Amino acid sequence: MTYEPIWGSIIAWYLFLAGLGAGAFATSAFLSWRHPEAVTMRKIGHLIAPIAVGIGLVLLMVDAEAGFANPQRFFLLLGNFGSVMSWGVVFLSVFMVVALAALVLDFLKRPVPGWLENAGAVLALCVAVYTGALLGVCQTFPLWNNALLPILFLVSALSTGAASVLATSIIRHGEEFNRVGVLKKFHFCLPIIELLLVMSLLFITQSNSEAGWASVMALVSGKYALAFWLGLVFVGLVGPTILEVWLLFFSAKEFEESRLAHWLSFLSDAGVMVGGFLLRYLIVVAALPLPVAVPLF
Amino acid sequence: MSESTITRRGFLKQGAVAAAAAGTVGGLISYDAWSKAYAAADSQQEVKKVHSLCNSCSSKCGFTAHVKNGRVGTMTGDDEHPYCEGTLCARGYGYAAVAYSEDRLTHPLKRIGEGEFEAISWDDALTEIGDKIKAIVAQDGPEALALIMDPRPSGSYYTKRFMAALGSPNTYTHGVACNLAKTSGMTQALGAGDFTSDVANSKMVIFIGRSYADGLRPGSLHSLQKGYQNGSHIVMIDPRMNNSCTYATEWIPIRPATDLALILAMANVLVAEDLYDHDYVDNYTVGFEDWASRLPEYTPEWAEEKTGIPADTIVRLAREMAAAAPQASIEQGWRAATGCSHQNSGETARAICLFNTLLGCWGVEGGAYFPPSVSVGKLEDPRFAAPPKVEAKIAGSKEYPLAVGSMGVATHAVQQAGEGNIKGLIFYQSNCVGGYSNPAQLAEWTKAADLSVAIDVQMTETCKACQYVLPDTSYLERLEVPEFVGGKIPVVALRDRVLEKIHPETRPVDEIFTGLAKACGVGQYFDFTVDELADAQLKTVGLSLAQLQEEGIHAFSEKAWKPQLKTEWKTKSGKVEFTSEACEKAGFTPSPTWVEPLVMPKEGQFRLVGGKQTIHTHTQTANIAPLMEISKQYSLERPWLNAGVAKQMGIEDGDEIEISSEMFTGRTRVKVTERIEPTSLYLPSHYGRMIPEQHVSYNVGLSQMDFVPFHIEPGYGGTMAQEVIVTIKKVGA
Amino acid sequence: MTRYGMLIDTTNCIGCFACRTACQRQNGLAANIDYIRYEDRETGTFPNVGFEVIPIQCMHCEDAPCVSVCPTGASYIDETGTVRVDEQKCIGCKYCMAACPYLVRVHNPETGAVEKCKFCAAESFEGRGETCSCVEACVTGCRIFGDLDDPDSDLNKAIAERNALPIAGDRTKAKIFYVR
Repeated sequence: MTYEPIWGSIIAWYLFLAGLGAGAFATSAFLSWRHPEAVTMRKIGHLIAPIAVGIGLVLLMVDAEAGFANPQRFFLLLGNFGSVMSWGVVFLSVFMVVALAALVLDFLKRPVPGWLENAGAVLALCVAVYTGALLGVCQTFPLWNNALLPILFLVSALSTGAASVLATSIIRHGEEFNRVGVLKKFHFCLPIIELLLVMSLLFITQSNSEAGWASVMALVSGKYALAFWLGLVFVGLVGPTILEVWLLFFSAKEFEESRLAHWLSFLSDAGVMVGGFLLRYLIVVAALPLPVAVPLF
Repeated sequence: MSESTITRRGFLKQGAVAAAAAGTVGGLISYDAWSKAYAAADSQQEVKKVHSLCNSCSSKCGFTAHVKNGRVGTMTGDDEHPYCEGTLCARGYGYAAVAYSEDRLTHPLKRIGEGEFEAISWDDALTEIGDKIKAIVAQDGPEALALIMDPRPSGSYYTKRFMAALGSPNTYTHGVACNLAKTSGMTQALGAGDFTSDVANSKMVIFIGRSYADGLRPGSLHSLQKGYQNGSHIVMIDPRMNNSCTYATEWIPIRPATDLALILAMANVLVAEDLYDHDYVDNYTVGFEDWASRLPEYTPEWAEEKTGIPADTIVRLAREMAAAAPQASIEQGWRAATGCSHQNSGETARAICLFNTLLGCWGVEGGAYFPPSVSVGKLEDPRFAAPPKVEAKIAGSKEYPLAVGSMGVATHAVQQAGEGNIKGLIFYQSNCVGGYSNPAQLAEWTKAADLSVAIDVQMTETCKACQYVLPDTSYLERLEVPEFVGGKIPVVALRDRVLEKIHPETRPVDEIFTGLAKACGVGQYFDFTVDELADAQLKTVGLSLAQLQEEGIHAFSEKAWKPQLKTEWKTKSGKVEFTSEACEKAGFTPSPTWVEPLVMPKEGQFRLVGGKQTIHTHTQTANIAPLMEISKQYSLERPWLNAGVAKQMGIEDGDEIEISSEMFTGRTRVKVTERIEPTSLYLPSHYGRMIPEQHVSYNVGLSQMDFVPFHIEPGYGGTMAQEVIVTIKKVGA
Repeated sequence: MTRYGMLIDTTNCIGCFACRTACQRQNGLAANIDYIRYEDRETGTFPNVGFEVIPIQCMHCEDAPCVSVCPTGASYIDETGTVRVDEQKCIGCKYCMAACPYLVRVHNPETGAVEKCKFCAAESFEGRGETCSCVEACVTGCRIFGDLDDPDSDLNKAIAERNALPIAGDRTKAKIFYVR
């Protein structure tokens, strides 16, 4: 019997969008701290956060078919605080409230108080970590059941969130984009950290069990190899890193601030987001279960 | 299909009209909408328990169905039925889904083009078929008609009576593709076509190509399990390590089609080493000297060459059997080695009987016995009087003189249709075309007949080849004539109406043949209902229909088998016959000697072997969703290839391979296993159904029969279903 | 107290699937919904071969990961120790399926909810006596159902006599015991 993944691309989209939205809000909070002048970009982050998380939640509900058909059952979601998912619902709900509040204040052209920004940032981190912990507590899947996964998803969330804010700002606010150097340098580091985390995850997982080994092999040389190497590693992690290294450290300042450079940066951010989705997708579908009675592989 | 709406009497009365109307499109409601509305309308009903008989294979085990909302829920096997002894097999539970299958035939159909049918009324169907039958009888005589069926209680009664009323002897069973050669070979030696090894009480039993755990009859499996757990030495001789090996002390792989060599060599050891039962042979047999004089050439070393079984193993088995005798026997086998598979199947069956005779095991506890049974007495009511006796012999009896007349050589009849000698073919619950031998060939011959009629519950290869298709009710929707079953305690059991008729234009077998008889002008022999017939039959054994419906199964404890050395035989001599004049006339030696298989695989070739899986019965269950879903989920349609051979060929488990015989080439994924000997490729016989009207089974795996050339075993008439060589190659290599 | 459990003797299992189809009848399941799944393996090389079939279903764990991850409380353990799903509460998030180490929970596409073996006896078995359809159907009598809290139950005796153990160690305190 062949094993069919329990979750598919809908849940991957959900995990990706929840992380991206959280990362976008965290990016806004970061901007208000280090680049208070980048007002538009901060607002972009506030706008992206609830939209991305909202779409993610809708996808989650669509995937939960029995709940989708009987929406009143979603009110039961706080029924078990032993469940990571119930905690996730709490984080997501409160985060959504904060993110929407920030958005409303932005719309009303009123300042977003620092405490709200900070509270949102903390919640954003919780949401991002939750998306990893959700999978991480499933003992059946060695690829998930480890402490690296929440950290990896957190880093990816921050990376994709920042990328979404940066890419959007490039489209209409090139001037402001040029002024957020600290954010860009932080953002540049994230794919490198992510790459190290992915490598660590795979190294450790392949060594801990046959199922872990098979999961890793499915990624690096099996049926997901193309998506893994070309999509996640090259487009999502190595490509953006090369582009950003060149733009940030080796290109002339005038070029770095040119429109062409902006669009190259846009390309890099788009790559980061593609990689962010593929990371969730590949982790979700490539995980193979520990054997029950007979080795499965 | 037809314009008529699928409804159920009483259904619309129940206030569920609105629910049904929701699913109504242009006067037709979907079956799904109907069944949902029907269930909702009846949801207040209590659970009703009904006794009946399964139809998923020929065993027809007794069960109790729990019926709620007009649907069958829980099913339990009946304890008193000797074939199931309280437990059903997977098919028993799964096959009940046939009643609700969306692929049921719901109206009489008439073929209007290749693979195309239109619905016609029963009146038109019966009139047209009746007119054609009358014309054939008038022009070519009743011998130009043939009817082929897979025996079921009412089916057996009504088909034979119908054909007899027309004056035709040509009623055939599926035996030709099942156990014909076995029954016929045994009849030559014993004057009886079946025996049962008392495995439960045995000290040793050798099974040859038969697996109680795969062609599963629960009662037989219980007996095997008991025997094994009691310490009996159970030997499985099979090219495949079948699932019965759970209860075997050893599995001895054999090259298929060479079982006769093994038996001859073991018999040789018994005689040469003087290990046989002199007393039994001297007193209750004839012709032993003839066999004894022929055996010496069949040395264990010679048999090793043929079978691949080491000579010392053969010697050991023979000595162990002698030591265990008379609580020892070779089990009779069924379809594989002895039934219909090889050019030597009939002679293998005969040799098994004679080997067992050397052990003196007949009738002895732990040996092999003949289960007692009870039969219907004479019916006094003149309405049930038999039609005039048909003097002519069943067609094929001249060409295949050893084939027992109660089964006949069905494929011969179809071949004769192709040659213009048989003009009319009727099939009842028989997928002859798809399952007996080469389907393309059988379809061509069937289509050549002036008249061809198939009666079934779903569209089959046979239906597709016929001019008329008549829709049967499912087995859950009809009462049948009582079924008398032999066993250690013989019983009579009843197939009863578990469900009301689901599709109004379907008819039970008794009504169909009564209708056909009337249309053919012989209705006077069918002037009764099946209820009246069943009641009358039961009265002859001191029961009534109402009583048996209540009781489900009635056991005749007073007729229980009592172990006793069997000394009287229904042969001409009244003894076991080592020599047979009929066999000699048919071209064999008077006592069994080696008969070469028709084909043997050379290097790089394989013999394609078939065989049942526990969840299927030939092609009949392929379209049953709860069963086919298992096949799909666990990839059971894959052919088995020996692991060592696969490695040499660079084939891995799950690879796609191409299988070719002289008849057919097809592709499928392969199961690489240590559980099969190197010269065999095992293709489960249920798959490769290519009938688009069968939505569940369509295009899953390959059909064994597509690879098999049409041929008939000399003398005995079996289809030689495993006399076929195939080559394989990895796709893309 | 009643604490239902089961023993499955795989040395007697012929892999006939009767438990699966009987279960589907008793529970009114669609053809593609299975509460019982099977793992099998071969050992040795031709001609010295062995094989084993292991039916696997909800183990009714005392430390049930499915219950601890279920966000709505739809998965719970009832008073007989049977792990149950309240279909009225299930949203179909499939988190329990991901958490179950035995991979025996199935998503029903018709209801969207997740289902699994519920020990027929704890529900309302329609067959003969207080047992489960798989136990009653097993052609070779592989299965024994009973009360683990009753020291005299056939189940407890058989577990002790045959040294039956949970299938994958005791990390979840499974209540189905296997003889292999």
